[in-house]
Amino acid sequence: MVNFWVRRSEGIEREELLRLIDQDIAGLVKEKRVATKNFVVYVVDRDKVVDVVKKLLEYEYTRLSVIAGNDERFFRRDFSLTYIIAFDKQDLYIGIRTYVPPHDLKVKSLAKEVRAAWWHERENRDLYGFEFEGLDDPRKLVLPEYWPENVHPWRKDYPYNKPVADWREGQVDYKPIKEDKIDADVVAFGPYHLVNDEPIHWRLYVKGEVIVDVEHRGFHNWRGIEKIAEGRLTYNQIPFIAERICGICGYTHACAYCQAVESIGRIDIPDRAKYIRTVMLEIERIESHLLWIGIACHILGFDTGFMHSWKIREHIMHLAEVLTGNRKTYGMNLVGGVRRDILGDRLRKAFDYLRFMRAEYRELYNMLISNTIIAKRTRDVGILPRDKAISYGVVGPVARAAGLRIDVRKDHPYAAYKELDFRVPVYSESDVLARTLVRLDEVFESFDIIEQALDRLPRGPILADVGEIPPNSEGVGYVEAPRGEDVHYVRTGLYNKVQRWRVRAPSYANVPSVKEMLIGYRIADAPIIYASVDPCLACTERCIVVKAVDNGRTYSWNQLVELSRKISRRMGL
Amino acid sequence: MSYEIPHRWIVTFRYPLEPLPPPKELRGRPIIDPNLCIGCGACVRACPPNAITEEIDISKGIKVVKIFYGRCIFCGRCWEVCPEGAIRLSNEFELATPNKDDLIQYVVLPLHKCVNCGKPTEFTERQVVRVLTMIQELPIERREELRSKILLCRECKASFLSKPMELRGSEVYEKVKA
Ligand code: SF4
Ligand code: SF4
Repeated sequence: MVNFWVRRSEGIEREELLRLIDQDIAGLVKEKRVATKNFVVYVVDRDKVVDVVKKLLEYEYTRLSVIAGNDERFFRRDFSLTYIIAFDKQDLYIGIRTYVPPHDLKVKSLAKEVRAAWWHERENRDLYGFEFEGLDDPRKLVLPEYWPENVHPWRKDYPYNKPVADWREGQVDYKPIKEDKIDADVVAFGPYHLVNDEPIHWRLYVKGEVIVDVEHRGFHNWRGIEKIAEGRLTYNQIPFIAERICGICGYTHACAYCQAVESIGRIDIPDRAKYIRTVMLEIERIESHLLWIGIACHILGFDTGFMHSWKIREHIMHLAEVLTGNRKTYGMNLVGGVRRDILGDRLRKAFDYLRFMRAEYRELYNMLISNTIIAKRTRDVGILPRDKAISYGVVGPVARAAGLRIDVRKDHPYAAYKELDFRVPVYSESDVLARTLVRLDEVFESFDIIEQALDRLPRGPILADVGEIPPNSEGVGYVEAPRGEDVHYVRTGLYNKVQRWRVRAPSYANVPSVKEMLIGYRIADAPIIYASVDPCLACTERCIVVKAVDNGRTYSWNQLVELSRKISRRMGL
Repeated sequence: MSYEIPHRWIVTFRYPLEPLPPPKELRGRPIIDPNLCIGCGACVRACPPNAITEEIDISKGIKVVKIFYGRCIFCGRCWEVCPEGAIRLSNEFELATPNKDDLIQYVVLPLHKCVNCGKPTEFTERQVVRVLTMIQELPIERREELRSKILLCRECKASFLSKPMELRGSEVYEKVKA
């Protein structure tokens, strides 16, 4: 058992905490490396790694953030696994690394006790061929079913541009694990579904209208972007592909990547660049939250809210276009700073726009919070208990709605957030309403941040001189994306290339926890519960195909929305 | 009508029936000015998605710089790295077309011919001119020495380097003039 968060850590300084940790795991550690100023790596034996991770998770405000596998056979003939744990109150990331010889890739599984490890372990099994003893989920995570068993695409001897053997030959159908064991009807929700960001498949097991169990299968769109970057791009080309990881919060990825490389190269970016990054990050947050508010209103059958919210969003997109040259993929970042300055009339224009939008948004806000139907549909729905939230390591608005006071902007200050004044809204109800309110409040804070940052924009250059990035070093970059903490682990290799780039988007931490939120609620609530974690909703317009079978009936997506709206009407809209 | 000034009630436009000019900051279609491009290939190496490629056809004696908008992500890196300012991101965004070939711009540049053997080299004439102007500031001996190498193809360069006294820089220059 893991005793999550039993040891107080708030108020303890970073050095003090490191000393405590050294004491805790003394004797288990073989080597300690200080990679960057807030990223420390401990090397431990592989039979100890699970114990060490569990021990660290006893501290308050820790999360298992990433498990990054790596093929280090080129350097030292081993594979490695790095469990990166975030210490949110000390601005610290600790990596627990273990080396595993290639002929025997067995590691103990952590997923039963720490749910955050669940997806990471399955991913590492797919991509590197690690075997996790005790992992009770035999399904693949990122690779498709037909992928041959012993081919692991992220090993370095698999070239980035090699296609897999003809997949049509060995096509295998997806086998849900619980379907035979459970006595309930099945509602398939996705893979193509309006509320899904990527094609994602939720198998809802229902008794009557109540969901009793849930199974997830996703990653139909998995592209292996990280491999392309490792294979052929140079440091300054990756920000552009990083930006294309997500259609909504792409800039956070570009920022996180650049920060990781900057921390490795000890590059201090100019103040003006820091402020400009902050402005763009907050513009993106407003844009993303407004998008989410619109979609949530639409799902609840309140299309006026949807229209209103997207109307305001259009203005912020236009502002982004004026400041960066593009509505969405800003293309602003390079390692060492930003590429476009905010000058003269653009600055004035930004202030005009912000004043206008704030007034519009206040109107929308008042309209939404005074709407009883939204409150009724969302209150006490999709509750994620606090202990589950900790075990799943949820981040962002989902965590803040569950009473966990974590926000990367405050806890691990990056860009210019340290010098700006803002509030982090926290609610403790942990239902859909709380998640909605967190986002609604955050938009106001974002307006404040942008205005402050533009007001105080320091003078100076916007791009630092970047010397050589040291090869064979590692670092983490982190950004509070609209959906939560976005972590990039970067390890540099030879010839100006990254050797390993691991992207952990916030939805990767949040989506597994949807399972816990859905159980016990009605099918008609499923869309809004799933949407409440704000999985990137990028491909909305193209999703029309939904087939859901329940007691021999087939629901189309429109019927499901209709069902959801009928409940709204029954409540007296 | 434009969306330059936010309006409380008017939020939709009659585009495409009426033109809707984008803000001047928009990063649109990159265009290479064929009169300025020297074919150095800096943009080719900087372009993240390989939208710009270069090809050398020794038999025809040409170098082709090709930009394909189907791959372009409109990042503007090419604009930043071009030493001649030949490439520029325009304001055009309406790129939809039924014909894929409309999305390609070619710049064809003649290759420099070796002054000794007359065979085409791997670099363009304009590149040579550019380097010749660049070395104007160097001290005269150094300039002469470089000039003798610049105008030769790889094989001739190698053979001259092994026999340095055979042909002086000034003699090569005389040959060019002739
Ligand atoms: S704008 Fe970017 S993607 Fe397009 S050609 Fe230039 S460098 Fe390549
Ligand atoms: S960088 Fe400029 S001059 Fe060089 S090939 Fe590209 S467009 Fe031509």
